[in-house]
Amino acid sequence: MTKPNDDQEDRNLKARLDALSNELKVKQSDLQGAEQGGKDAHVTRTGQAMSLGFRVLAEFVAGVIVGGFLGWQIDLWLGTGPFGLIVFLALGTAAGFWNVYKLAATTTSR
Amino acid sequence: MARDARTQEDLTVAASEQANDPIHQFIVTPLMSDHIGPASFTNASLFMVIVSLAVTFLMVIGTSSKAVVPGRLQVAAEMAYEFVASTVRGSMGNEGMRFFPFVFSLFMFVVFSNLIGLIPYTFTVTSQIVVTFAFAALVIGAVIIYGVMRHGSHFLHLFVPSGVPALLMPFIVLIEIISFVSRPVSLSVRLFANMLAGHITLKVFGAFVVMMLGGGAFAALLSPLPLIAIVLLTAFELLVAVLQAYVFAILTCVYLNDAIHPGH
Repeated sequence: MTKPNDDQEDRNLKARLDALSNELKVKQSDLQGAEQGGKDAHVTRTGQAMSLGFRVLAEFVAGVIVGGFLGWQIDLWLGTGPFGLIVFLALGTAAGFWNVYKLAATTTSR
Repeated sequence: MARDARTQEDLTVAASEQANDPIHQFIVTPLMSDHIGPASFTNASLFMVIVSLAVTFLMVIGTSSKAVVPGRLQVAAEMAYEFVASTVRGSMGNEGMRFFPFVFSLFMFVVFSNLIGLIPYTFTVTSQIVVTFAFAALVIGAVIIYGVMRHGSHFLHLFVPSGVPALLMPFIVLIEIISFVSRPVSLSVRLFANMLAGHITLKVFGAFVVMMLGGGAFAALLSPLPLIAIVLLTAFELLVAVLQAYVFAILTCVYLNDAIHPGH
């Protein structure tokens, strides 16, 4: 006799818990929305996302450009034909990806 | 003769287009005829002086009253101080506070030149790559000099990450060196390109208004649209101006942190 009763109670409790946590979630998201203040928050988020995107772009392009420039100058200096440029352009591209990876790793861990 | 006539025409077209030329606002012109050595006092130098004076004014006048209930200037000065101080402390720890004057000066100069550049008919100092690259070179120079002074050859561990197989080591070290060299490039290009792009966008939309007003009745009716876009873009540029100065300051902190704790 006691077993079905316990089940019922458990189910009731679970339902109440779910309802309460749902309510809490709604309230929290409302609070967050009110804190961020609608449209201003949207503009700020767009700006931050744009600045992050621009950072990624700049880091990557800078790596490639620096690698290419170093290779070009090494070729001029040592007269090693196109090989310095080829090797350092590849290394620069790798460095660009490495920069982006470091950036992504720090922003997600933050 | 025909060629002369064409160049004449080109000149008049050039003169009328100068008002709409979005690049014209970035031209550096000497303001005085006499040179000081190889240098001359240009509109860029004038606005650097104005920016420095504005920063000095804010900090000196703002902090002079030392009121318990601060006035507007004092609040602005204190907010700027606390903002940069918390950024420096957050990314470098208390030890990094010795770099606070450096980071604070950089941040204030960049944010003021960005903001003053948004006023029409002013010159944006940070839209010149030579200025932003000089700042970035200063930052990286400080990183290298302080790192070598403090850690000696141990500073080079910055380029040698731990736990890399010996076979890959030469490549990784080369990549790390290129990555380090690319820092001043990306730091300066980001600020410069943001300012340049923003001001060109504003100018192009401004030219749209003028051209549509002179482009027949239908176009003239639509000409308020780019004007509204300018208002929105100006607000957005205000955000970008402050955000880019903040990004510049925080990256300066991140790079200086490498000098304090290399190899982590």
